[in-house]
Amino acid sequence: MLHIISLITVGFIPAMAAVIIAYGLLRHAPVYDYFIEGARKGLETALDILPFLIGIFLAISCLTASGLLGLLNQVFHPLFQFLGIPPELLPLLFLRAVSGSGSMILVQNILETCGPDSYAGRVACVMSGGCETIIYVLALYFGVTGAKKTRHALKGGLIGYLTGVAVSLLICRIL
Amino acid sequence: MMNLIWSVLFLTSFVYACFSGNLPAFADALSSSASDAVTFLIGLSGIMALWSGLMEIAERTGLIQRLSRFLLPLTAFLFPHVQDPDTISSIVMSFMANLFGAGNSSTVFALRTMEKLDAENHGNTEASNDMCTFAVVNMAFAPVFPVVLLQIRADMGSTDPYSVVLPALITSVCTVAASILACKILERRS
Repeated sequence: MLHIISLITVGFIPAMAAVIIAYGLLRHAPVYDYFIEGARKGLETALDILPFLIGIFLAISCLTASGLLGLLNQVFHPLFQFLGIPPELLPLLFLRAVSGSGSMILVQNILETCGPDSYAGRVACVMSGGCETIIYVLALYFGVTGAKKTRHALKGGLIGYLTGVAVSLLICRIL
Repeated sequence: MMNLIWSVLFLTSFVYACFSGNLPAFADALSSSASDAVTFLIGLSGIMALWSGLMEIAERTGLIQRLSRFLLPLTAFLFPHVQDPDTISSIVMSFMANLFGAGNSSTVFALRTMEKLDAENHGNTEASNDMCTFAVVNMAFAPVFPVVLLQIRADMGSTDPYSVVLPALITSVCTVAASILACKILERRS
């Protein structure tokens, strides 16, 4: 089962690339020249987002290194216990909103300490599978645009994120 | 908005580091994070160039315009003001890449889409409704099959590694629906 799923997931992207190139050949297009031109544009975009990336990385590591993230965890600990949410999930909840790849390590920690089939372990998996990162998207997407006033993008993202958290907590109790 | 978030994150961290005795760690983090970002981007830029190159082929050969015609009804609801077939297909491509967990390659499509939406916004300093919806929906998206996660669960001796797939899917659908709803309501108020 896992094999088939991973085959589909792994195969989709290369298949998409193959279709694009094959279609180009059918149309007698200079596919290689187009590819090089596009790749150059891609590198330019990469360079464009670098300053924003440095900005987010800076903010995230300041937050963790100063111990502020740990303090937030302590402050919210009683509230979580009151709500019946496993406190092991706390750091994941905070970091997930800021950085997606950084929170993968936290999921692994939770699975190790609580076990993959525990309530906390399952919620951690569902949450990391179901909630994308807010700050990363906000900084990067609006980094390349001329429009800098993001209006309701943050609010909308937060509402979505909190919904994801609430649903994952509930659904792991039911299913 | 980022001006506020960023400076609050930094300054509160700094103040707390001063009082908690974590100032040395804070100083280390300051310099290492900047070089970490560059290292991260070097890895990312290869994938970005690759997909940007493939996109260029798809765009100039007309494949993208073809695809977008099928998906017009879907995007018309989410992005009522987007008429340009290039932008529509760009939106669809980035959603697809996101759903199939192509991770960083979806960033390429998303950034391209944002640039196109920005062009349609005619240099306005305020983000358009479409830009906000696109960003928020992308935040909400999650891969349909979190392969890496399932592998980790299996490695750790879970009795049923797949038990999270259905809950994750339901959570995803709820998150996306709530995000879209939030956008549609919030855009009317502002």
